[in-house]
Amino acid sequence: MRLLVIEDDSALRQSLAATLREENYAVDTAADGEEGAYKARYGGYDAILLDLMLPRLDGWQVLARLRPECRTPVLMLTARDAVTDRVKGLNEGADDYLTKPFDIDELLARIRALIRRAAGRTHPVLAIGEVSVDTALRRVMRDGVEIALTAREYALLEYLAVHRSEIVTRTMLYEHLFDEDDSTLSNLLDVHVSNLRKKLGRDLIVTRRGHGYCIE
Amino acid sequence: MKSPFHSIRWRVQAWHGLILLGAVIAFCFTAYRLAWNNQLQAIDHGLWVSEAKLGAALMRNIPPAPGAGAKEDDNPPFSPAHLVERLRRGAGTLPPEVASTFEGMAPGYAYFSLRDASDSIYLQSANAPEGLVLLPMPAGPYADEWHTIGHRREVLRSSSPGLRSLVGRDISPELDAMHRFGWSLGASGLAVWLLGLLGGWWIAGRAIQPIAVISRTAAHIADGHLQERISTTGADSELDQLSRVLNHTFDRLQDGMEQQKQFIADASHELRTPVTVLLSETHRILKHDRERTPEEYREVIQTCRDSAHRMRQLIEPLLLLTRQETQGATAPRRPCDFSGILRDTLEQLGPLAAEREIQLHADLQPAACLGDPAALAILATNLLANAIQHNRDGGSVFVRCERHGQSTTLTVRDDGPGIGPADLPHIFERFYRADKARASADGHAGLGLAIARTIVENHGGTITAQSTPGEGAVFTVTLPADGVRPNP
Repeated sequence: MRLLVIEDDSALRQSLAATLREENYAVDTAADGEEGAYKARYGGYDAILLDLMLPRLDGWQVLARLRPECRTPVLMLTARDAVTDRVKGLNEGADDYLTKPFDIDELLARIRALIRRAAGRTHPVLAIGEVSVDTALRRVMRDGVEIALTAREYALLEYLAVHRSEIVTRTMLYEHLFDEDDSTLSNLLDVHVSNLRKKLGRDLIVTRRGHGYCIE
Repeated sequence: MKSPFHSIRWRVQAWHGLILLGAVIAFCFTAYRLAWNNQLQAIDHGLWVSEAKLGAALMRNIPPAPGAGAKEDDNPPFSPAHLVERLRRGAGTLPPEVASTFEGMAPGYAYFSLRDASDSIYLQSANAPEGLVLLPMPAGPYADEWHTIGHRREVLRSSSPGLRSLVGRDISPELDAMHRFGWSLGASGLAVWLLGLLGGWWIAGRAIQPIAVISRTAAHIADGHLQERISTTGADSELDQLSRVLNHTFDRLQDGMEQQKQFIADASHELRTPVTVLLSETHRILKHDRERTPEEYREVIQTCRDSAHRMRQLIEPLLLLTRQETQGATAPRRPCDFSGILRDTLEQLGPLAAEREIQLHADLQPAACLGDPAALAILATNLLANAIQHNRDGGSVFVRCERHGQSTTLTVRDDGPGIGPADLPHIFERFYRADKARASADGHAGLGLAIARTIVENHGGTITAQSTPGEGAVFTVTLPADGVRPNP
């Protein structure tokens, strides 16, 4: 899953990015509204964390530029806690709202819920035959036995599971699993898929030649 | 409102009742007196008529004195001497139709008595009461007197020939009538008084009703509904004036509360980001059981320290501003030289200016004034630091201090980028920053100029800013010599 953090305070931006990366998200950052709006439109993110007070373009203006074309879920982060601000944020196209200072666990839970909802899933545990993916605990079970996966493997499996029955291209996977700074070689993707098949069964991930991968 | 006598309505009612009672009593008394006087006049007229009839009858019936003339006169003129003469000569009798008016003891009966100087009776009606006292012989030729004894009215006369007369009548029917009249007058007076009391109660109630409305609304506002106001009718009545004064007070209270609220909201807003960084970083470093290198710990601790530092940079000016706002106006004033304070400040800020190759130009003339030296030093620091921070690298700051008559003027000019016309009216507001984006990372909370303005106002002075974008800004402070905020 790939996230965009638009926050002008450098300390908070770096801290959020580091926290989210440790949760195995691919994270891009933007320090002002204009850069944030540009990246949000063309970056193909799974969710956007948007601060309200930004230089050049503030949070409202960024939202106005995104909506309605860009449907990426937006979580607003702001120091303003008046009810009117919250209502305005939700009315103008934000999907959720968090007031600073927030609890990091709550932030992570909200991000997971946002991504799940955007993909049309409401339950955090995704069941694919005998394999179940718990997106809240980041745990994968096969026949009731927990299977140990690396962070990358988990991220790949989660993305495919969330977009079940859809063909996921290699480009999409690159876009959503790796951030801008990542310079992973493309054949690494095949290595991860092969490892997943070894751990979870050969038939779980189907390769569509010339298109990409799919969980049916 | 516990004791009825503390209520305005009750007190108004008590005074109103007393005054009305006095007026009603005075009226009844006067009416009674007038009626009685009227009655008395009628009685006296009746007495006079009876007396005249008696006199005429006596003059006619008493035989004339021998030798006085054989001619019998039907209506001889009344003359006391003549009558005395006749009475002395023989006991006169009254004709029956006259005697019958002086008979019996039925209410309203009349009686008479005629006596000589030595109180021996010439003639007296049978029904005359015991113990009649007649007028003594007059000093002159004639005397008379009207008087009331008990329930009798009498007219007494005496004349020098030696005739003393008394004609009286029983006035108990009239007294009874007056008695009844008195009672009915009293009853109507009481009724009028009670009606007046009721009317007064109603009017007093109506008059103080707006007060009840005002006090209810005021209590409601005091309970926290600060946006409510007492409704005014637009008339210029006393209560309307009171309502307007109260509304004005509430307006000012609400403004003050709003400002305070805004200030607290702004302050907490500024603190939220560093707190979020602290929480996020500590949470991240403690969460996973993954191995952390000492380098990672060092980085996180460094970030936390920076955040704490930012909070301190916010809290210090916040405290300073609060202290200036609450105690600054009453801090002791001491004689000090403003130019000396400025010189010290310039020295302190020298390194900051040198870092960015900014030239400091000072033209400081001695300017003795009364003030709080610590506050004035903060004022100087904030203005000069502001001029340095918002200057371009390699720019200049001009500081000028001079004394004009009773006031001291400080001018701080820089040749930096200046202040935009949209920002200029707001730069003295708390937390206002011209560049909108949070600049707290570089250590400016947006409170420096607000503190400067508070200090200047506490000293009874003025501070203004002028700017031409691209050519720098000029801050002018004028302080009066006494350094005391005038009472509004």
